Amino acid sequence: MTGALGTVVEVFVSGMAKASLYAMMALGLTLIFGLLGVLNFAHGSLTMVGAYVAGLVMVTFATGSGLAAVGWFLVAALVAAVLVGGVGAVMEVGLIRKLYDRPPIYQILLTFGVTLVIDELARIVVLFYGLQPRADWRGALGTKPGFVDSNTALLGASVPNLELFELAFGVLTVVAVWAFLTQTRYGLVVRAGSEDDEMAAALGVDVRRVFTVVFALGAGLAGLAGALLMWDPAWGASVPLASETLLPAFVVVIVGGLGTFRGTVIAAGLVGMVDAVTTYFFNEGIITFSGISELTIFLILVGVLVVRPQGIAGLAEVGGH
Amino acid sequence: MVAAFGVYPLLYSVLAALGGGVAEAFLPRPETMTAVFYFGLFAMSFDFISGYTGYLSFGHAAFYGTGGYFVVLVANGKVPLLPADTPFMVSMLLAGVLAALLAVVIGSVSFRLSGVYFAMITLGFAQVMYVFMRDWDFLSSNPRDGVAVSNSLHPEGFEIGVPGVDTLNLAIGALRGDEVDWLFLDLGATEVSYYMVGLVVLVCYFAMQRMVHSPFGRVLVAIRENEERARAVGYNTFRYKLGAFAASAFFAGIAGALFAGVRRSVSPDNSLYFLVSGDALLASIIGGFGTLAGPLYGWLFDRSVVEFLSKTGAGGGLLPLLREYLPASVVEAPLVGGMTLGEGIEVFLNGHAPLYLGVVFVAFVLFVPGGLLGWVRNRLGGTVAKQLPAYLGKFRR
Repeated sequence: MTGALGTVVEVFVSGMAKASLYAMMALGLTLIFGLLGVLNFAHGSLTMVGAYVAGLVMVTFATGSGLAAVGWFLVAALVAAVLVGGVGAVMEVGLIRKLYDRPPIYQILLTFGVTLVIDELARIVVLFYGLQPRADWRGALGTKPGFVDSNTALLGASVPNLELFELAFGVLTVVAVWAFLTQTRYGLVVRAGSEDDEMAAALGVDVRRVFTVVFALGAGLAGLAGALLMWDPAWGASVPLASETLLPAFVVVIVGGLGTFRGTVIAAGLVGMVDAVTTYFFNEGIITFSGISELTIFLILVGVLVVRPQGIAGLAEVGGH
Repeated sequence: MVAAFGVYPLLYSVLAALGGGVAEAFLPRPETMTAVFYFGLFAMSFDFISGYTGYLSFGHAAFYGTGGYFVVLVANGKVPLLPADTPFMVSMLLAGVLAALLAVVIGSVSFRLSGVYFAMITLGFAQVMYVFMRDWDFLSSNPRDGVAVSNSLHPEGFEIGVPGVDTLNLAIGALRGDEVDWLFLDLGATEVSYYMVGLVVLVCYFAMQRMVHSPFGRVLVAIRENEERARAVGYNTFRYKLGAFAASAFFAGIAGALFAGVRRSVSPDNSLYFLVSGDALLASIIGGFGTLAGPLYGWLFDRSVVEFLSKTGAGGGLLPLLREYLPASVVEAPLVGGMTLGEGIEVFLNGHAPLYLGVVFVAFVLFVPGGLLGWVRNRLGGTVAKQLPAYLGKFRR
């Protein structure tokens, strides 16, 4: 039995790990919305593809256990990110670019259609290789090295290493994206484009190219998130992963304030902690309703939209229209 | 069009009787058409709010699910004050009223927002309901799989007609529906369901159509075109939006009740999930956004594509036809990677309709933004009902 402090640490670490996952799912979405103003409904499907691609790399190539497997995981995550990023670039150039001058609803519709196509293609491929599309891909979960599955003692608590791994991976990604946006010249261009793309174009920035790059980047982040989820038994690589990740990603992005990087990270922290706390209550039998985590997450969405429609870090005028 | 829908089941049975399986391959079955009716009604109610006021109600499934769950729970005697033997017509109307009340609650909060934010808050409400109904074990022993009407309480199918008058009622449903022999007509349970559900949908369509063309409907369009101006002219747009939302939810509730009435069961995934709202959106875009009747044709088109390209249940579609008529040499022709053409056909034409639907949908968004009906009206320069007689009149001397 762990003590009171131990329980707090356990719930906190699990909350932060969930927060990293939510941040990973939502970062690409918010990046794309911030610059392009496109609410990408295909984001969840891209995450799902990333999970399968990373799983495929792990199952076919990964050898060894322990740190070698973690090294292979990084390779797989990179492959997933690059591949899915490529899909994103093709999507932007081939389809979404044609719709910038139409009302924003058409971009939602288009990406919704793309979701149907990607999900069904994934289902065909997965079925073809004799896997069950609705169930988690056991083979990919099995490539997780043993020490990730065990626990570490920390301040009187026993914390799963997988959560620490997710936390580290999530923090690294958030820092990397933050550094890219604030410390590099290209990040400056992206931020300028989010602020006012016509002005940026007038100043000589090739905004169309930037749009494509950012869309690819956002899609790549989705692929990276998929790779991370592939190892988590609570998620796992499966075709329904697409809508399972899309909805929390929406919640995080909206709660944080559409298109704001800082808000998204804060909102991911909030949603992750709430998820962990409600899960703890359920596991302890204090609350007996099994859907409590999901229910609370959507209630947060509704509550934030009622009280502060522009989100945590959004600008006031955004909420009105 | 009403006449065309009226003779469809007869036409289908005549063509199917000709044999050869060609009619079965190309025409949707009457069972499917019944589903087209009730889901088409739901899509029309979605269009009523989203297409006419411009507020994308992405949580519309909440009202469809409300209707479906309500009639099933009433039939199972789980709703207080309502006995299990409440006539279906009564519980259906109450389901609509309940959905409308729910819409007033959701709408009074949500209509403070617009654009993407409105879509997201309605989605949030619907998902709260979805999770709640999915995990609430009062509903049935396994709420994740949904609730079915108890066969001991309701051995007969649900009846549509005038409540209390037995001769003016006909039961719907695949196995428990009534059969009718009248003059030379011999209607099976499927056809009876088709006509009775179609009748309700027709009445609902006319009601919505009258509302859209009333002064009330004009204000809705004004809100879509320029809400600030509508407000400046003196309309309390909030009340109009709320009224339209409630009316739309009422018909969505009726549609959900019909859905549950025909199938005798309802599950969270086929009634409350956000992808159900997505299907209504799909139907509206393919059929024509803001045309009211369009979504029904959109869903008809959608289901026809699904039936044609993916074998569902007992029959229909391209696959059985190809299996029968393709010569063996073609079937065994090698495709890529050791897969024969026949195997390729089996893989791609068996239950993967969303793939083609997605492509069709993307094509519609890109190239036919007005949808089927919008395109037709654009070509004719007005609604079909007005332009067709005028066109035919030119040939009359």
